[in-house]
Amino acid sequence: MIRALRWLVYVVAVLALNLPVIVTFVTSFKTGAELTINPGLWINQPTLDNYLGVLTITDRLNVYAYLGNSLLASVIGAGLAILLAFPAAYAVARGEFGRKFLMPAIVNLRAVPLIIFAIPIYMMFQWMGLLDTQLGLGLILTIVNLPLAVVVLVNAIADIPIELDEAAKIDGAGTVAIMFRIVRPVVRPAIVTCAIFGFITAWNEFLFGLMLTTNNAVPVTVGASFFFAASGGGVQWGLASAVMIVGALLPAVLGLFMYRQISGSLTTGAVKG
Amino acid sequence: MRVCYPPTVRNRPLAASTTRSQRRSSAERAQRHQWPLLASPLIIFLLIFLGFPTVLDIYYSLSAVTFDTLRSPQLSGLGNYGDVVNDPAFWGAVWFSLRFGVLTALAECLIGLGLAIFLSPLLVKRSWLMAPLMLPLMVAPAMVGLMYRLVLHEFVGPVPYYLTLIFGNSPSFLDADNSFWTLVVVETLQWTPFAFLLFYAAYQAIPEDARQAAQIDGASSWQLLTRIELPLMAPTLAVALFIRFIDGFRVFDNVYTLVGSGPGGVTASLSIYIYEAFFKQGAIGKAIAASILLFLASLLVLVTLSWLTSRRKGAAT
Repeated sequence: MIRALRWLVYVVAVLALNLPVIVTFVTSFKTGAELTINPGLWINQPTLDNYLGVLTITDRLNVYAYLGNSLLASVIGAGLAILLAFPAAYAVARGEFGRKFLMPAIVNLRAVPLIIFAIPIYMMFQWMGLLDTQLGLGLILTIVNLPLAVVVLVNAIADIPIELDEAAKIDGAGTVAIMFRIVRPVVRPAIVTCAIFGFITAWNEFLFGLMLTTNNAVPVTVGASFFFAASGGGVQWGLASAVMIVGALLPAVLGLFMYRQISGSLTTGAVKG
Repeated sequence: MRVCYPPTVRNRPLAASTTRSQRRSSAERAQRHQWPLLASPLIIFLLIFLGFPTVLDIYYSLSAVTFDTLRSPQLSGLGNYGDVVNDPAFWGAVWFSLRFGVLTALAECLIGLGLAIFLSPLLVKRSWLMAPLMLPLMVAPAMVGLMYRLVLHEFVGPVPYYLTLIFGNSPSFLDADNSFWTLVVVETLQWTPFAFLLFYAAYQAIPEDARQAAQIDGASSWQLLTRIELPLMAPTLAVALFIRFIDGFRVFDNVYTLVGSGPGGVTASLSIYIYEAFFKQGAIGKAIAASILLFLASLLVLVTLSWLTSRRKGAAT
């Protein structure tokens, strides 16, 4: 009895939490004509036309460009965050370097509203010629990813017995060699988690994409909203739905496969940070 | 900066041979110089992309500046701050963000806690059931905001459609009266899984001995929950409430894509207020002064919080 109730609560929770995704998914298979007479959750005449429409390049909207921009900026944002965080995390975990100032500063960055930095970064990027470039967006996404990367990597490195480092030291290995040859392979799972989670976070970022790009580097979160800007006859809901499904697909699939690692890193980041 | 070694290193007995211990200590001294070097790329990156913008922020907040004079700001004292503090829209945004942060944090933590405890017996045996519950966390909040434009649309949205079918009419979710609560529900539905995850992990981490001891003492399952399990999860509750409050307080993406600043600015959060002051009104000085005020406020909260936790830790030992 209580078991059945648990299942019921589970199903209701999943449906309620995922309502927007479900509705958008269903709508993306409806024709424009059907949508006006049937806004419900079933489909009379499923069609793939919306997806064909999205995947066709027009002058005004080019979904491949948005996806490519998101991909490039997110890879920079996730990769650079790890490259910067790993040596620093090693110094924090092994050398107790920066426990007093650097660590608190980075951890608290998670709690600072990033809009504070948005305007000066906009001006700075204008001077540096980084406005509306994938590199510029990637650099800012790095900042967004750094706090969690540092916390997760510091914890992962601190969990390795220090005897491992010392054994290598006695064998004559230098700090950099120990870091890359001994420690890096052991914390590989943490690095992979940071990469995946950082990629998803970067892909889903919106504020900086909106402020720092206009034409050439527009990410898909911002590009998708262009499909809602009514052109003449109002929003084409089927097309807009298909764009959102396409734009949300990569992080959603990554997340569904890696849910175990992601929940682990979210919990670590929150509780240890 | 003072360098202290982890206890495992410090307490290690000295090596027997003096030459070896000497060699080792000189190696350690060399290593000590390597720590700042290893952290330097990160520090330099932060100085360029956060330190410099902060300085710029402070300077511009004290200057008279427009988009035409962006490169030659004139120092003008505290005028920009005056503009912000005297702007009723600013205080409206502060009030929106505070209310939004508190209400969504409470709702997310309450529902997340309930789900974590109630669904735990199902999920322990089938962990893959977690994946669909976590899906909302993988979708961009900006996209979710756009999706709700469809979900709540008066002609093509399923929610008004079914409400009309069942009750004969449907509220307009995005008008001036309802949009605040619509946004609270939208935010809560997306981020409850985050709170749920934290509570689920904390619930699983409760040692089995604690439960068994209580059961041997004849505690009912209600007593077990309220006297043992919930108190043990209290620190997680504090963390979850804080994180969710912060994220709710600085909300931008989903509010912006669903309603923008709303009819008459009723849904302007602080982030949206700053964005619109800068990009829509071109009031650069005002936007930056508002950012600095927000920065000071978050700094105050964070410093107070870390002071409180360090004092508690100090009292505990």
